[in-house]
Amino acid sequence: MERSQMYRQLANMRKALFDQGFLDEQFVQLEELQDDANPNFVEEIVTLFYRDSTRLIHNIEQALEKNPLDFTKLDSYMHQFKGSTTSIGAKKVTNECTQFREYCKAGNGEGCKRTFEQLKKEYALLKKKLEAYFQLARQIGPVESACRPK
Amino acid sequence: MHSSLTLISDFSIPDLVLMMQGSIWISSNSQGHAQSMTLVLRLLIQPFRRGMFELGTLLEQSKSNSIFTSLQVILADDDDGNRTVTKKMLEKLGCRVSAVASWFECLSALGPTGNSYQVIVLDLQMPEMDGFEVAMRIRKFRSRNRPLIIALTASAEAHVWERCLQMGMSGVIRKPVLLQGMADEL
Repeated sequence: MERSQMYRQLANMRKALFDQGFLDEQFVQLEELQDDANPNFVEEIVTLFYRDSTRLIHNIEQALEKNPLDFTKLDSYMHQFKGSTTSIGAKKVTNECTQFREYCKAGNGEGCKRTFEQLKKEYALLKKKLEAYFQLARQIGPVESACRPK
Repeated sequence: MHSSLTLISDFSIPDLVLMMQGSIWISSNSQGHAQSMTLVLRLLIQPFRRGMFELGTLLEQSKSNSIFTSLQVILADDDDGNRTVTKKMLEKLGCRVSAVASWFECLSALGPTGNSYQVIVLDLQMPEMDGFEVAMRIRKFRSRNRPLIIALTASAEAHVWERCLQMGMSGVIRKPVLLQGMADEL
């Protein structure tokens, strides 16, 4: 595929991620930190996020299997997790985190479990989309590929 | 010489007024020693935005006259991703950053008298450590040329802010940390 085509495809992918609500403004913040010295900064941050959050997801999963549920602990894990999702601009995942915390506050175990399933789906879906995005970005190489949304 | 650091929060106006009257944000230590850096905070009230730390103005200024050039900062945050991002932001401003992942490393880096770090940016949510406790230790630790301590927290609660102030912290940045241009703001 011709480079300019790839470039356009990348821009479209990026736009879709924002338009469809997968990413928010915080992601743009990360992009603005990317420069010649750190040309893959955003990808590195996202990779770090997925690596580090695996442990948290696991902890939450285990905590959800306990009986009775410790909502304080669950909320605390989710607070931590949400801190990370927010900082990479993972909008949909963050929304699920917020919802989960609402259910914790309400002591609604079923709600927590349902939301967590949804969260994991969003988390996995975003990962796939971003992987595809970064893969294409790498193919194009160090070209200024970000189009700022208005 | 001064620069302006804009700390924006979604706190209520009464809270902000209280803080401004307290002049708590202006860095001058209790012994009256002149600080090498003055943080002048303009609290802009923006009801539509979550608390953020706006450094965009400084980025522009930093090209010509950078008070942040070679400002030495220790950044303590156990979350790898967040630490990397915050470090990069500080570096963009021209700071020299030492990033550590625990309070123990932070204290070690400070040394007995030693290294002249001017600012410590401290994540309050590191596990196995109470951020406030660390701040207290740091303050006891070196009373002259005491570094400014700025807390990072994802919490929006006023009591967290208040506690930061009581502990003698010089500033609070709410996570996620943003770097935005003044133009965007207007």
